[in-house]
Amino acid sequence: MKVIIHDLGSPCTEKVREKYDHVIEADGKYAPCQGCFGCWTKHPAECFMKDRLQQVCRIIGQADELVIVTKNLYGAYSTDIKNVLDRSIGTSTPFSTYRGRQMHHTLRYGKHDLWKVIVWGDITEEEKATFRLMAERNAINDGFQRSEVGFAADPAELEAMI
Amino acid sequence: MKTVFINCSPKKRFCASAYFLSMQRLFTGGQTETEKLRTPADHERILEKLRGADAVVLCMPLYVDGVPSHVLRFLEEMEAFCRRNSLHLNVYCVANNGFIEGRQNEPMMQVLEHFCARAGLSWGGGVGIGGGVMLNVTRIMFVVNIGLLVLNSILSFTRDGNFFPAEAWISFAENAALLLFFNLGVLFYLIRMGGHIRRGTFSGKRYTRIMIPSFIFILFADIFFIIISLFEGGLFRGWLAKKPYEASRLSSQGTGKS
Repeated sequence: MKVIIHDLGSPCTEKVREKYDHVIEADGKYAPCQGCFGCWTKHPAECFMKDRLQQVCRIIGQADELVIVTKNLYGAYSTDIKNVLDRSIGTSTPFSTYRGRQMHHTLRYGKHDLWKVIVWGDITEEEKATFRLMAERNAINDGFQRSEVGFAADPAELEAMI
Repeated sequence: MKTVFINCSPKKRFCASAYFLSMQRLFTGGQTETEKLRTPADHERILEKLRGADAVVLCMPLYVDGVPSHVLRFLEEMEAFCRRNSLHLNVYCVANNGFIEGRQNEPMMQVLEHFCARAGLSWGGGVGIGGGVMLNVTRIMFVVNIGLLVLNSILSFTRDGNFFPAEAWISFAENAALLLFFNLGVLFYLIRMGGHIRRGTFSGKRYTRIMIPSFIFILFADIFFIIISLFEGGLFRGWLAKKPYEASRLSSQGTGKS
C-alpha cells in the first residue's frame, strides 16, 4: 500500500489521489499529540481525540511505501506534517526491542519498505544533512527497510518528484 | 542574569521535562522565570517573558525523533518575535526520551541549532537524556522512601520511644543512594550546563542516560507498560493486534482515497 502525507493543500490532494492508496492532507486542522500513551495502553492504535488523525496510525502502519512531502522547517518536517507523525505512534506497540543497535518499540504492523521524504522550500546544506539523519532515524524507528530524501528546488521539480 | 525556563511537555502534570527543568534551574541560579508551553494560548505570554532575558532553556520530550509539533509552532512564532524585537538570547535545551540512549535526541538538537541560526539567536547546546520517563519515576520513589522513613520513625517512637530507628535510616540511605546513582549522569551534565548558562558560554551537546544496563531497562519498561495497560484496559482491547483502518468512522474527516 502506498501512502502520501503532504502539506501542499487540497489541489495536491486531487492531483495525487489516483497514484496513492491513501492521501493524508496535513492542513493543521487537528490537535497535537498530548503524550498520554493512550494509543498504547488504553485504546490500542487509536487516539482519544476524535479528529481526522484518530486512526492515522492504522493507515501509516499498513503502508509499504510512505511518501512525506513537507516544507523545510529548521531541517525538519513542517509543523502540520510533524503533528501527523506525532499522532501516529500507535504503529508500534508499547513493548521494546533492539533495532539498528538501539532501543525501539516493536512494530504492530510488521516491517515496511520505503520511508521517502520530499522536501520543498528554502533550505541550507546543514539542514539537508539533518533531514537525511531524521529520515534515517524515522525509518529505523518505524521499521522501514530504507529511507530516501529528495530536495525540490522549484515547484516543477516538486511536482515531478511526487 | 535572567534565564527563562520553558517546560515544553504537553502533559498537564508529572512530566519528566518538569523534573529535569527543576534540576537545571537549581544548577543555574540567578534570576529565573519558569513557563509552561502546552497550547498556542501560551505563546504570547512566554514570548513577552523573553524580553530582557539573557538565556532560554527549552525542556522537552523527544517526539518521533524530533521536536514535538506544538513546540515547532511556538518556535516559528519565537523566530519572528526575536527578529522583530532584535533579541539575541542564548538558547539551551534539555531533551529527554523514553528510550535508554540519550544520543537518540541528536536530530532534535540539530533542529534547534538550525532554529537559532534562522532566528539570529546563539545556540548554547544541550543535554540529551535517555530513560527520561524512568528517571522521572525515581523522584516518586524518593518521596515514597521519605514517607516510609517518617512512618517507621513514628512507629518506633510510639513503640519504644526511639525516634531514630537505625534499620529504617540505613534502609532509607541505601535506597536514596541507589536512586542518586541512577541520576548521576543527568546530575553531572545538568550541573555542567548550568555553569555554561550562567556564563553565557557554549555548552556543546552532551548525551547521558539512566545508569542501568539497557536489557534491564527494557525489562522494566515492558513491565511498566503491562501494568499501566492492565489498569487502563488496553491489555484487553487488542493490545498488540493489527487494528484495521475503519474508514466508515472517518466519513467526515477527509482522509482516505474514497
